[in-house]
Amino acid sequence: MKRRSVVKAALTGATVLAAPAYLRAQSSKKLSILTWNIADQQELFKQEFADFKAANPGVEIEWLDKKGPDLPAFYQTQIVAGTPPDIVDLQGAIWVDYAANGGLVDLTPYLQKEPDVAKRFNADYLKGWAYQGKTYLLPFYVAKTLLYYNKTMFQEAGLAGPPQSFDELLGFSEKMAKAEKTGFLTLNFDWLYWPLFKMNGIELLSPDGKKAAFNTPQTADALTKLAKATASGGVNKISWTGRWVEPNGAFAAGTVGMLHAHSSSYFFVKGQGPWINGQTLGAAQLPGFWSTPTNHGFAISKGSKNPDLAWKFITHVTSDKWASAFFKNRSVLTANLAADNAGLAEMEKTDPLAAAVLRTQIEHTDKLTGNWPLPYDAELKDAFWPEIQNAALGRKEPQKALADAERTVNRLLSRKA
Amino acid sequence: MMGRYPRWPIHFALIGAGIVMLVPFYWVLKTSVSGENIYAYPPSIVPRHIHPFFYIDVWYSIPFARYFLNSVAVSIIAVVCNVAFNAMAGYALTHGFRGKNAVMLLFLSCMMVPFQATIIPAYLITGKLGLLDSWLGLALPQCSTIICIFVFKSSFDAVPRSLIDAARIDGLPEWRIIWHIMLPLSRSAIATNVILAFIWSWNNFLWPLIMTRSADMQTLPLGLARFLSYQEDTTGALYAFCIMVLAPGLVLFLMAQKEFIQGLTSGATKG
Amino acid sequence: MTAIESPMPRSVGRILRPRTRQTLLLWCFLAPSLVIFLLYRVIPVIWNLVLSFQYWSPLKAAEFAGWDHYEDLWFDDVFWQALWNTLIVIASAPIGIALALGLALLVNADIRGRNVYRTIIFLSYPLMTVAVAIIWRWMFDERVGLINYAARTFDLVDKPIPFLNSFTWALPSVIVANIWQMLGFYMIILLAGLQNVPRELHEAAAIDGAGALHRFTRITLPLIRPSLFLAFVIGMLNAITSFDLVYVMTGGGPGRATEILVTYIYKLGFVQTKFDSAAAVTIVFFVLLISIAWAANRFTGGNAGAVETE
Repeated sequence: MKRRSVVKAALTGATVLAAPAYLRAQSSKKLSILTWNIADQQELFKQEFADFKAANPGVEIEWLDKKGPDLPAFYQTQIVAGTPPDIVDLQGAIWVDYAANGGLVDLTPYLQKEPDVAKRFNADYLKGWAYQGKTYLLPFYVAKTLLYYNKTMFQEAGLAGPPQSFDELLGFSEKMAKAEKTGFLTLNFDWLYWPLFKMNGIELLSPDGKKAAFNTPQTADALTKLAKATASGGVNKISWTGRWVEPNGAFAAGTVGMLHAHSSSYFFVKGQGPWINGQTLGAAQLPGFWSTPTNHGFAISKGSKNPDLAWKFITHVTSDKWASAFFKNRSVLTANLAADNAGLAEMEKTDPLAAAVLRTQIEHTDKLTGNWPLPYDAELKDAFWPEIQNAALGRKEPQKALADAERTVNRLLSRKA
Repeated sequence: MMGRYPRWPIHFALIGAGIVMLVPFYWVLKTSVSGENIYAYPPSIVPRHIHPFFYIDVWYSIPFARYFLNSVAVSIIAVVCNVAFNAMAGYALTHGFRGKNAVMLLFLSCMMVPFQATIIPAYLITGKLGLLDSWLGLALPQCSTIICIFVFKSSFDAVPRSLIDAARIDGLPEWRIIWHIMLPLSRSAIATNVILAFIWSWNNFLWPLIMTRSADMQTLPLGLARFLSYQEDTTGALYAFCIMVLAPGLVLFLMAQKEFIQGLTSGATKG
Repeated sequence: MTAIESPMPRSVGRILRPRTRQTLLLWCFLAPSLVIFLLYRVIPVIWNLVLSFQYWSPLKAAEFAGWDHYEDLWFDDVFWQALWNTLIVIASAPIGIALALGLALLVNADIRGRNVYRTIIFLSYPLMTVAVAIIWRWMFDERVGLINYAARTFDLVDKPIPFLNSFTWALPSVIVANIWQMLGFYMIILLAGLQNVPRELHEAAAIDGAGALHRFTRITLPLIRPSLFLAFVIGMLNAITSFDLVYVMTGGGPGRATEILVTYIYKLGFVQTKFDSAAAVTIVFFVLLISIAWAANRFTGGNAGAVETE
């Protein structure tokens, strides 16, 4: 007991003493911004910063960039030390955890005060950053899954166009599978595979979020079909094991009929697959128009000394002007309506195939799935996914896998309740 | 032992082992200088269209010189501190004194602490010392290493007792005994310390990741990891970068390898 | 730990003072190292211990949790999987050590160029682990990795093996990379042991008619026990703390096939923001290491090699 208090005192002392050094460096007009693996945009950021400083004299900006998996680690140590960056670029669902624990500034009052800001954005994407009715981030750039298909392989198999239902998806896959060729491949990290279930009418959790709702005959049926198709080569095994390079690389090699992945995969695949052009690659929606987003947004840390200035800054970088510049540089949608429309119109002329791929990202944005705002999303994912993986790879009977997953998920939910 | 057995099976086995150890190096080197698409199948065994493009690419895509400087500075601090502190501690451990067993036990248990688990407290402590985002702060957790202390200890143990006693009778203070008698007789232990401290500090990844904040303080492994995540493993530049990062450590090792291997062999186990 | 004579000339009346003074001096010599270990090892362990009985996250104030986190671990499949994988990795250390012992015997032979062999075999140890991981990822690559290429060229397999994406192969692949990196280090440690085996013992035994195998098991092995122990402890520490290797090569996947306790600690803390649970895993991990080291020490004859002998 005594030792504990000594340690605690020591650690508290450490935090307290560490802070002033930082605060001294942090003049009242300094902003620090932490971005998520986007160091390649240094030039653009420099211009944006210069522009912002011109409009707000005396402001200093510190820019930090960390790669994806390292950013949360870095951000959290900064929070513990009491020196969080004012603005942080977050991806996926990790923000919900921060928001639920009071680590992020609620942007709703700002949005109410400046209604024009919300109007810039695609409403569905903006809505994706809300937790319990409060908005915590502004969209920086967005992506959601789509279905790429290899038109050459489709023709060889006598298929006219992309599948319109789950059964067609698997049927087409079987038709294209032979020797080294497989029919379908999906990315699986986060919840990217979830549209496959959603299109079968499957829900992960009950409407109140208190119980697992996925252990149903439909799920078992869908999972059985997926496992069967995987065993026969219709669905590529990498769907359940690969991360990013492997699935995209496999599709780029030209031996996979369909790829369910983000728009960002396009540039990667195109770089590796010399066969790709407008005649050979198609971009479509999955059956049922479901897709899973992976978005980036800007949040303001609760620990920020200048939240108002930080707000000004994030409205600055997401403005039409800078969102357009970002679209142009990175060929990525920003959820800023004006920027996206102008950028796409421009792109249609220079690279129609890329434009067709990006176009899918602003269609059917009302059918986003797999992005439930739960503060324990990472744990839920870890409880659920391994069993799906086991079943799809034929390592476990689907019914058994689902029952096991239900048990772990319910245990998790009951602890969180 | 006495030269009655045939040598060729030994050479044969050792050449086989040598190949296994060297081939991965070769494969990466080959990839880093090949001009072809690195995903072409079948992969070529010898590099085709040799050119240094990937190396130039690396040089321009990250501030390599700055990262290099940081890595060198941090490693130098770590090496100097290691030699000094470990020699002192190793010397102390060659004596008997009150609390020695406790110190030994502490050292042995400290070896078992995984660094990943210490990040947050280590960060807070370094913050309290005001050393965040600095060379010294980067080096500090590695300024003394337990294995190296024992390397020194064993080396000092081998110094004849009579020599030390004679020096004492001459009235030499302890630090001069270390400096004038112990260290000159422990060259290989010093080499071991230098190399191990250098390797560990040069290769450190997680600590600089957490505690550097400004772009100017990044070290080479961070550059490597950043490169990996941004480019994925789709370009030969990644492998060029690997070679560029590995080269200094290898060169240093090759320069001092004789003393090093000697130091490790005499230090690792008591004679 | 025998008593050491006071180095000062002892005149009866002055025994105590110089001894105390010298003890003080020795503590001063130890001080820098002790301070560093205190700051970066001891305090963090205590911090973890305290934290493992609390609910805490960077955003939440601490709250007493009792044994909750340990209880959660008991029901946590991932924890057991990671623990199991960690044990497998530890169990693989003896394989590397056995290989290294063979090599050490070979390079200890009186042959030409043995220093070159030693250097080559040792060469992989100084490498940055992140780079080693990248190198081996490339070697294991499904499409153009050398290993698959060789296997296909010699018709050992019909289809390339996706080593790092296979539930069966991923962990062995990581272990192979780890052994590759550590082999030279083990070899040097064992070589040191071998060099300390008095040659006369072998000669005497040979004259008595003992065969080579017999001499090896009866003379060499017992005498290099301390080296074996040291190699094992270092190998174990290195293997299970090989965070960088797993992090870069597989990220713990596929599924949890290569999740080890250190990667799980990192993920729990920094990905799931559960530093409190991570602390509980850390404590379990720490206790596990200590017990294995203790067991290994007992097994090799209670003499912890260089590390403890005096």
